[in-house]
Amino acid sequence: MIRDGAWGARFGLSAWLVPVLFFGVGPLGVLWVRGLEFLVTRSDTAWSGEWGALSNTIVISTGASLLALGLGAPLALLLFRTDLPFRRVFGVLFTLPSAIPAFIWGMGWLSLASPRAGYLNRLWGTGPFDIYGVGGIAFVEGLSGLPFVLLAGAAALRRIDPALEEAARVCGASPFRALTTATLPLMLPSVLSGAVMVFLLTASSFGVPYLLGVSASPPTRVLTTRIYELVLMGGAEGLPRAMALATLLLGLTPIALGVMRWLGRGGRVRLGAGKGLSPRPMALGKARGPWVIAVSLVCAACIVLPLGALVLTSLQRSFGAPLSWESLTFTRWGSVLGSERARGALANSVVLATGAGVLVCGFGLSAAMLRRSSRGMVEALSVGPFSVPGTVLALALLVAFSRDWRFIAFERIAWVLALAHTPWLLLIAYAVKYLALGERNSSEGLAQLDLSLVEAARLSGAGPLRAFRDAALPVLRPALISAFVLAFLTCASEMTMSVLLVPAGSQVLGTLLFELQSYDDPAAAAVLACALVVLVLVGRGVLALGPRSSVEG
Amino acid sequence: MATIVLDGVVKAYGKNPVVRGLSLEVHEGELLSLLGPSGCGKTTTLRMLAGLEHPDQGTIDIGGTRVAGPGVRVPPERRGLGMVFQSYAVWPNRSVEANVAYPLALRRLARSEISERVRTALRWVRLEAFAERMPHELSGGQLQRVALARALVSNPRVLLLDEPLSNLDAALREELRAELAALRERLGTTLVFVTHDQAEALALSDRIAVMNGGVLEQVDAPERLYHAPASAFVARFVGGANVLPGVVRDGVFHCAQSEATFALPNEVARSEGPATLVLRPEDLELGTEGTPLPLAARLFLGNSVEYRFAVGTSLLRVVAPPMEGVRTGQVLRIRARRARVFAAP
Ligand SMILES: Nc1ncnc2c1ncn2[C@@H]1O[C@H](COP(=O)(O)OP(=O)(O)OP(=O)(O)O)[C@@H](O)[C@H]1O
Ligand SMILES: [Mg+2]
Repeated sequence: MIRDGAWGARFGLSAWLVPVLFFGVGPLGVLWVRGLEFLVTRSDTAWSGEWGALSNTIVISTGASLLALGLGAPLALLLFRTDLPFRRVFGVLFTLPSAIPAFIWGMGWLSLASPRAGYLNRLWGTGPFDIYGVGGIAFVEGLSGLPFVLLAGAAALRRIDPALEEAARVCGASPFRALTTATLPLMLPSVLSGAVMVFLLTASSFGVPYLLGVSASPPTRVLTTRIYELVLMGGAEGLPRAMALATLLLGLTPIALGVMRWLGRGGRVRLGAGKGLSPRPMALGKARGPWVIAVSLVCAACIVLPLGALVLTSLQRSFGAPLSWESLTFTRWGSVLGSERARGALANSVVLATGAGVLVCGFGLSAAMLRRSSRGMVEALSVGPFSVPGTVLALALLVAFSRDWRFIAFERIAWVLALAHTPWLLLIAYAVKYLALGERNSSEGLAQLDLSLVEAARLSGAGPLRAFRDAALPVLRPALISAFVLAFLTCASEMTMSVLLVPAGSQVLGTLLFELQSYDDPAAAAVLACALVVLVLVGRGVLALGPRSSVEG
Repeated sequence: MATIVLDGVVKAYGKNPVVRGLSLEVHEGELLSLLGPSGCGKTTTLRMLAGLEHPDQGTIDIGGTRVAGPGVRVPPERRGLGMVFQSYAVWPNRSVEANVAYPLALRRLARSEISERVRTALRWVRLEAFAERMPHELSGGQLQRVALARALVSNPRVLLLDEPLSNLDAALREELRAELAALRERLGTTLVFVTHDQAEALALSDRIAVMNGGVLEQVDAPERLYHAPASAFVARFVGGANVLPGVVRDGVFHCAQSEATFALPNEVARSEGPATLVLRPEDLELGTEGTPLPLAARLFLGNSVEYRFAVGTSLLRVVAPPMEGVRTGQVLRIRARRARVFAAP
């Protein structure tokens, strides 16, 4: 396809680059420049009172990544190196935390461990748990980031020859010593890289810190929630300061990516030379029983418990009522899901998520096809926005496309595409942020595509488009379908960008959930959260049963 | 320093039997080769000796101590063995020196002694100059030698070698074979050597155990294995012999689906009826006597030529000195100087 001539390639590249630059890179650049400007010229006011948010962000993100690392690395070893019973089931269960939005986990933990009304506290009587504040936020974020460490560890273990550990045993090392000398050092860079990813995601996260931080007393503020408050405050004071903070937050991204890259350089080293490499699970022997119980307990505590609490809350007649079988009812499900508001939000979300899914697939596939001819630039542009915090990206779009803040590219040309406060901006935000899903999946698909299939179709007389449709598309279809489903699910429950960009008076599922939980009716929010969990589980289930596994951005 | 006894060892992966009732004794200080086609269970047998797999049935004794059997399972680190893995298993995060020093460090030897012995081991495998290198800076053959040095460095009583020379050039292979032989002389180490290279097995071993499909076909000294194979499989695998199906009638072997016949020498047992004829390529003679066959192909081997003929559906190979003016298609006469007949399987 790309071979069809330099002109075609150049045209395709421009057709891809212009919208991506205009809607993705441009606004971020504007934000960066404005933010820096404000930081430099008004350094006195820009900082007053914001140091706390910055230090909270760093403390929480560090805590979350340490938790994910401490839990994820041993779990990876147990699930992907040993003959632990039910390891497949556990493998699926432990990837749930990142499939379901973190906000929903936060809600689950809130119903479990809010100081007065939490189920656990009521059960214990003395109220020992408090999920609010720095510790609680780090805990919830760490658990929901667990899969990033776990999957990174699994990928590393797949490349490590088990014979390395066996060689240590034969040399006289105990099983534990063999593990720590042969396997752990090789897997460490990968799981550390996963932990850095958790750091970045936690620093970018908005829902959980809002839920567990802002409404706490005293409130715990982080950069994202502070930016949100400043944007709501608006005006000549709020927006510039929000941009200054966003610049700061944006600065974390290249640092984190740099660290991950540095950690990843070890991946090039041959981990197993020679032949005879075959994965052999390590026998746990007599320890199988205790380990399976331990893993089940962790799984129950981290996954089953919060989801169960959420279901329980959604079934209660009134919030905070004493627990008994008689007080459980489905009536609230009907009234919440049938309400005018919920149906409106659902319709908006479905339309937007479908649109975003189509854009993600289209631009992702083009990116994957253009990748080779552009020396990494296209890849960087399509994967980059995924690691830009949603709050920052939303603010950038808001500023660039609002009436008051013009998107000035050159001295005299100002685009006044007043997209702010229209659904279009949401669509653009979703598509830009999750473009990585499309690019990653398409690249995987293209890697499996034998170009000679397309060439054979051309030789049989098909034109380039026809050949692509007949020979390439059938091979790429599974990859595109999983990209679409993943993008759809993510966008349908997106909250961070939606709360900033949603047009006044209308709602999407994410903002509805946010408002119900924060201001109106936590029990109704629980119903909506359960419905979203079901949607995500069904979507993921369909993907898992599909012909091939998917790649997550 | 140690005798190894396997008795009725059975091992299956799931429902798939890999080793099926293996009984074998490796004498003290002996070099025994395990020879067999790919997938016949050589590595699996070695892994059971090392303690990396546990036999489903049967027992294993090393140096008079039961190491595996019902209710007995000595872990690999307490068997005091050295092993070279088929995939080398050189730790990529440690330098060559650190890899080789590892078994000694576990034994808590003094620094000076460790570095001394590491240097000696690296000299054996001709890698003194590479001590500081990291494994990804080495070639496949160099990695293999690091693995060998690591297995040798602690002077183990038993050394298990899974194709330890497979990636080396002919000259280096020759040198390392000599080193292994010297080492055995010096320390009396018992060696179990896995290979599917029959020339290597013949050149190196005190005895060879030929495996096929998880069972032992024959265990014997190289000469006996070569000159008195116990089965058609051994003859084909070890000597590269021709194996032809057919019938014996009146002292003459009639090949199946072919006109070709071979007069059997007197010393060969003459059981009449269906049988398998085993002919070594170098035991066949091209000349004026014998069965006429058209030449199918001719391969130049250097000091001799391999002539190929089609006999029924089988291939007949004859290795003989080069002859002038022979063309493919030309009919040549073939006579067997020596032959062996086995009852048809
Ligand atoms: N972990 C395992 N699970 C299932 N089957 C296995 C496993 N390891 C080996 N096998 C099978 O057992 C048989 C014997 O394997 P083994 O590695 O012992 O062969 P080998 O004689 O060493 O072959 P090669 O010369 O190719 O190394 C093979 O058919 C192989 O497919
Ligand atoms: Mg093998």
